[in-house]
Amino acid sequence: MKLDTSGLESFSTLTAPGDDVAGEFSAPPSFQLPNSNDFDGFVKEAIQMVKPAKGTTTLAFIFKHGVIVAADSRASMGGYISSQSVKKIIEINPYMLGTMAGGAADCQFWHRNLGIKCRLHELANKRRISVTGASKLLANILYSYRGMGLSVGTMIAGWDETGPGLYYVDSEGGRLKGNRFSVGSGSPYAYGVLDSGYRYDLSVEEAVELGRRAIYHATFRDGASGGVVSVYHVGPEGWKKWTGDDVGDLHYQYFPVVPSTVEQEMAEATGA
Amino acid sequence: MSIFEYNGSALVAMVGKNCFAIASDRRLGVQLQTIATDFQRISKIHDKLFIGLSGLATDAQTLYQRLVFRHKLYQLREERDMKPETFASLVSALLYEKRFGPYFCQPVIAGLGDGDKPFICTMDSIGAKELAKDFVVAGTASESLYGACESMFKPDMEAEELFETISQALLSSVDRDCLSGWGGHVYVVTPTEVKERILKGRMD
Repeated sequence: MKLDTSGLESFSTLTAPGDDVAGEFSAPPSFQLPNSNDFDGFVKEAIQMVKPAKGTTTLAFIFKHGVIVAADSRASMGGYISSQSVKKIIEINPYMLGTMAGGAADCQFWHRNLGIKCRLHELANKRRISVTGASKLLANILYSYRGMGLSVGTMIAGWDETGPGLYYVDSEGGRLKGNRFSVGSGSPYAYGVLDSGYRYDLSVEEAVELGRRAIYHATFRDGASGGVVSVYHVGPEGWKKWTGDDVGDLHYQYFPVVPSTVEQEMAEATGA
Repeated sequence: MSIFEYNGSALVAMVGKNCFAIASDRRLGVQLQTIATDFQRISKIHDKLFIGLSGLATDAQTLYQRLVFRHKLYQLREERDMKPETFASLVSALLYEKRFGPYFCQPVIAGLGDGDKPFICTMDSIGAKELAKDFVVAGTASESLYGACESMFKPDMEAEELFETISQALLSSVDRDCLSGWGGHVYVVTPTEVKERILKGRMD
């Protein structure tokens, strides 16, 4: 199987094929494949190990003034919460954002790789790459690794010459253009709130609040989402981070506790 | 995910000075989806005996109904309430009866015995009793709970301090578990009164 190793071209040094110690492979340095008798079985097992992924909620939508991108910040391993402060919105470059859902390492690596490719495009063509082009680059790479166990469910959001752009790209090789997307285990809950509150002509503040609310509702219902809601806005000048609210506090902001008549009021005992 | 993690739960009981506290989370879920945030996991058998059931919610409810039935029969025959030690043996026997098709529950029993001496114990799903002098834990967050209780527990705490300790241990542990949390329910029982409190926690 010929892998698309263009993702590694930036890293290949001037090593000529003949300089290799083993002296056997003539391709540029690539990901080493494991030495096993049953490669397919081994890969299947490896995929299963990484699989319980996409425990997250991310969303993005296009509206009149650009693109809103929002995400939670929880990382879970099965039932255990490994972190409540993961950055799931990746800044590819000052005018393009990517969201992370699935394997953290996969998303981080390939988004950074995409950033490198975009910059190279800028230098080679003296103009910024379009969102369409950037998402196509990523989708092609992920397609070539299809079946190898990468787990990436990302949205590429940005502002280019044609205006706001939003694409959904995943590790199965899919690439979709759209106006509203939500990815992750909490996405059904986020869609409910997002779809009912969406209007094209929202103001920036209203749109940010919609994104925040949608992620909050997803963290409430979905066990694998939580932590901090981050909301970014991508406008003609590039992206800007708007909010980073802790979901624990947001809940009591939206639904304040009504003090009932009890003799003894309990002191706050949150352990967050 | 295993059958014990289907609904998600967190339970802890702690011993204080002539009192005990038993606490649970309030989430009922179906794997990752949260269905209810006010689920009762701890039930009263009599004024000085409480049982919390973690694990599969349907088995917890059925087991609780059977235990209440057995205790009522006992009350009619013996004309008094059951002692916690006796009750623990009853639960253990009931669970072992189903050795080859068990209830997927882990009970936590807490009560005041003779002379108002606090008694806590937990069991696995087929009735192996574990008596402890300080604290017992059960549920999907049990590993975090062990750590939190081990570090926060002090012997001979009064009721108020015991309440603070058990609440902090519960909330900090469920904050590391996807499947439990969404508030807390604490009962602090002394020889004279039972105080029931709802904890405000992270709702994610």
